[in-house]
Formats: sequence, structure tokens, C-alpha cells
Amino acid sequence: MTNGPAIEVQGLRKVFPSGVEAVSGVDFAVQPGEVFSLLGPNGAGKSTTIGMLTGTVAPTEGSARLAGFDVATEPLAARRTSSVLFQDPVVDRPLTGRRNLEIHARLWGVPSREIAGRLEEIVEAFTLSDLIERPVATYSGGERRRLEIARTLVSEPTVLFLDEPTVGLDPRIRLELLDVMARLRERNEMTLLLTTHYLDEAERLSDRIAIMRAGRIVASGSARELIAGLGEQLLELRVHGDPGASLASLARAGIAGRDAFAVGSTLIVPARGRGADEARAAAASTGAEVLSAVQRRTTLDDVYLWLTGDDLADAA
Amino acid sequence: MATIANPAADRPHPRRSILSPVATLARRRSQLTVRTPRELFVPLLTPILFALVIAPALKQALHTSAAYESFIAVGTIGLLVPLNTMFAGLSVIVDREAGAQRELLAAPVPRPTLVLGNLAVAFAVTAFQITALIVAAVARGIPFDATGSGIAWFLAASAMFTVGMYGAAETLASRVPEPAEYIARVPAIAIVPWFLGGSLFPIAALPIGLAWFARFLPITHALALMRYGLLGEAGGLRDIWGMASAQTMARLSLLVVAAFAALLTAVSVRTFARSALR
Repeated sequence: MTNGPAIEVQGLRKVFPSGVEAVSGVDFAVQPGEVFSLLGPNGAGKSTTIGMLTGTVAPTEGSARLAGFDVATEPLAARRTSSVLFQDPVVDRPLTGRRNLEIHARLWGVPSREIAGRLEEIVEAFTLSDLIERPVATYSGGERRRLEIARTLVSEPTVLFLDEPTVGLDPRIRLELLDVMARLRERNEMTLLLTTHYLDEAERLSDRIAIMRAGRIVASGSARELIAGLGEQLLELRVHGDPGASLASLARAGIAGRDAFAVGSTLIVPARGRGADEARAAAASTGAEVLSAVQRRTTLDDVYLWLTGDDLADAA
Repeated sequence: MATIANPAADRPHPRRSILSPVATLARRRSQLTVRTPRELFVPLLTPILFALVIAPALKQALHTSAAYESFIAVGTIGLLVPLNTMFAGLSVIVDREAGAQRELLAAPVPRPTLVLGNLAVAFAVTAFQITALIVAAVARGIPFDATGSGIAWFLAASAMFTVGMYGAAETLASRVPEPAEYIARVPAIAIVPWFLGGSLFPIAALPIGLAWFARFLPITHALALMRYGLLGEAGGLRDIWGMASAQTMARLSLLVVAAFAALLTAVSVRTFARSALR
């Protein structure tokens, strides 16, 4: 019996022929049964990382293993253990939903005698009975997404990649799909790698989260650990004028450290035991015009904005 | 988190025959094709028009014999094959832009099977269309003079030519990003060689330089072989090789068409594998 991570990535790097370095050497490991999310803004390298793990993007450097199989030297074995839900619809629209599922089953080597039974089970689990005999071209966006998620499970993958699974869907369908995805982790100790820029999605589904920025992982851990990095409480000050200058003033006054940041005209400063009034007074004493100041709990959104935004403290 | 047993590593991974994924992919492609009947019938229209309307009209206007109708009927196969395979290549772009190509790339099957699955369907559709063309020509009263071995020469030539042309179509589809760009290049690949390859008149009628150029075109060899097989006349082969033995010339031309098929198939598989991966 082989023990080891379900996904193991070392020094993975991708430079496209245009010269753009999409992924700049990432390392991570995901244990069997774990749900791991890659968070980051557009262009952070999340989808390219998934592409390299699923064999649709050729890595420039580094190595990756799925269930112990090297994606470069044992590609068929690695791909056999995994399944992927792509960010954009990747489906044969003229064919029926059933035919799309069946093609997946056959290509992934599901024994012929098992296909019908497995499809019935999946169709029922995903409430696709009314749709399954219709061409996919007639599905709504949410129905198509449900079919695509169902398709990934036909081959009973050990590792499942979900690349921005709910992007572009309306809130009701998104919540329904989140329920579906929450149920996925109960199936056969499946390992999930999820990319998203919806933070609630990552927080709700993941055991661990890695935040990517400009092709690098800049932080990783559980949602609680990531929040703890910024402190439990934050001061939020809305200022008039140049937020960078205001942030610099707060830094000089000893209120803001290197982990303070600005989003538009709002300054976010870890509280570190100080209250909103103290921060407001300190800011006002430096000449900054403070429109409002509140103290609140830190959220994963704050961590994300801190780690993926411009470092105004440095700039100032 | 504690490390636990990895279920995938214990799963048996039996070696699968390459035929199984090719059959699945070919079935998928054929189902997509029959849902767009234009792919089956549009490429047939122009050759049918040539064989059944234009050739008889030319015969009458130019006072040629019935043999000219037969000559043209076979010549139109040289138009039918490139047109149909080029249409088939277009579906590769559709697959990439709006279809399931990335799902197929993530599948645990060797990448050449994706090309071979498409090729199998393009081949079957072309065979259907050639049969339809010949049946229509016979029904129109156009004479053919084929023996058993002649039919074998015809089948070998048309099969190899189809495989080679599909290789060209798949290669082009893998290299150009947009359908419009693909379509803009089709005339240069499918139609210009047809005019020069002895489809409407023997290549000996061309200016010397162009006649030499035509000898290097696979379509010239394919059409000469098809006429040798279906009409029992070796004039096209003689225009290429200038030898006395028709059998020797036929073997040489078949070698050229087979090499064309093998080379273009290899190039198409390689181009697809390289271009599909970003």
C-alpha cells in the first residue's frame, strides 16, 4: 500500500511562449480526502496550475504527482486518477447529457458492464433525470454546470479539480452547486482542488487555502490560520484624499504596520489592541481627514485583499 | 493532517487497447457529424454537379466522346476528397473553441487517438460520398470499365489520398486559431491542386513547367491511379512516369500516395499534440 499526498507539486513553473510567466515555481501537497483551494485574482496562475496538473498545459519546470503518478512521465496513469471541471463550458452541446456522461465513462476506462448503473446513480444524485436525454444545447447555464460536475464523478476520480466552478452563475444556482460540492467530499475519500475567487466558497468548502498572487503562493493554511495572520480585529477607516499618504501618516504615528493596506479610500489596519477612536485621533493628528472609523472582525476577504493587493505601505 | 492510505495507488491500471478509445472518439465524432447534415451533403454538391451536369455539357459542346464523361467523373473525386476532409477539419476548430476538446485532452488516452478518431469518421464519410458520386454517375449512364484488381487499385488510391488530405486538414486546423482563417486557406489546399492534378484534362496538356510541378502533387498520382483502376486506362500514369509497364507505374504512384498519407498523418498527430497543449 502506497502512502503519500494525493497531489504533490514541486517547483512548478510555466512560462508561455509569449514570455508571460503565469506560474513562478509553486510547491504544495494535498493529502488524500483533503479539500484544498487556490484563491487569487484573475491572472494569478490558478487555472494554469490546474492545467499543468491535468495535462492540458505543459509545465516549463518542476514536477507534479497525482496519487503518486508523475504527470509528465506517467501521464495516462495520472490522468486516469483525476477528473476536471473546467472554468469554461467544455461539453458537446449537440449531444445529449447522457451521451456526454457515457463518453467520459468510456474514455476513463469504466468497464462497459458498469456504465449504465453508474450513470443512473449519478443522474439520480444530481437530479438530472428530466434533462439527461435532451441535447446539452437546450440546457440553462446552471443545468449545464450540474451536468459537468456530474460528469467528473462518472469515473470515480481520486483527485477532482474544480476550476472556478460557480463563476458566472446566478446566486441561487451557485448556492445549489455549493451544496453539491459540499457533498462531493463525502464520496470515497476524494481529494478536491478548487480554484475560485469567491472567498465564501473557499471558506465553506476547504480544509486548507492557498492564496496566489502573480504566479506565486503567498500564504497557505486553514481559513482560521490565515485570518489569525492579520489578527482577529481590524480598524476600518474611510479617509478623504490620498489613501497612500494617510496610510503613511498612520504608520508614522505607530498605528499602522506593514500589514495595513488600502482598498480605494478605505484603510484597513489590524487593531492590535487599539480602538477605532484612537486610530481616528491619530490619523486626524497627521492631517488626514477621516470620514468614518469602525472596528470589526477580520474576515477571509481582508486576508485576500491584503495578500493580493498593492502594498501601499511600501509605496508610501 | 495525517497521511492515509492512497486508494488510487492500489487501483489496478490495466493496459487498454488503443482501439477502445479510438472507437469511442469515432462514435462521438460521427454523432456530432450526423447532427450537422451539411457536413455530409454540401461537399458532395459541386462534384456531383461537375460529374453529372458540367461534364456532359462539355462533351456536347466540345464534341468529345463518352470517355470524357468518365474521365471527369473520376476527376471530381479529386475535388470531393479535399472538400470533404477540409470540412471535417473545420470541426476540429469547433471542438477546440466551443466543444469538448479540453475534456478529451484531460482523458487518460494517448493524444494520437483523438486525431485517429476524427480520421476514422472523415474516412467513412468520404467513402460514403465517393460511393454516392459513382452510383449517381452510373445512374446517369456514364461508363466505367473496372475489373476486380482495378477496383482494388481505385480503393487503395482513394483511401490513401483521403487519409493524406485529412492529415493536411487536421494539421491546418491545429495551426490556425480562427475558422475564418482556416476557410481562407481551403482553396489553396483543396482546389488549386485539383485544377493542376489532371482532373479536367491530362497533365500533358499543361505547359511544361506546370506539368512537372503536377507530377509532384499527390492528387495527380491519386487520380491517375483511380482512372487506371476504374477506367482501365493508364494514360495518366504514363504522363507522370513515362514507362511501359502500367503495373510498375501504378505501384510507384501508390507508393507516392501512401507516403503522402503516412507523412501527413504523422505531421497531423504531432501538430495536434503540440498545439493542443498550451
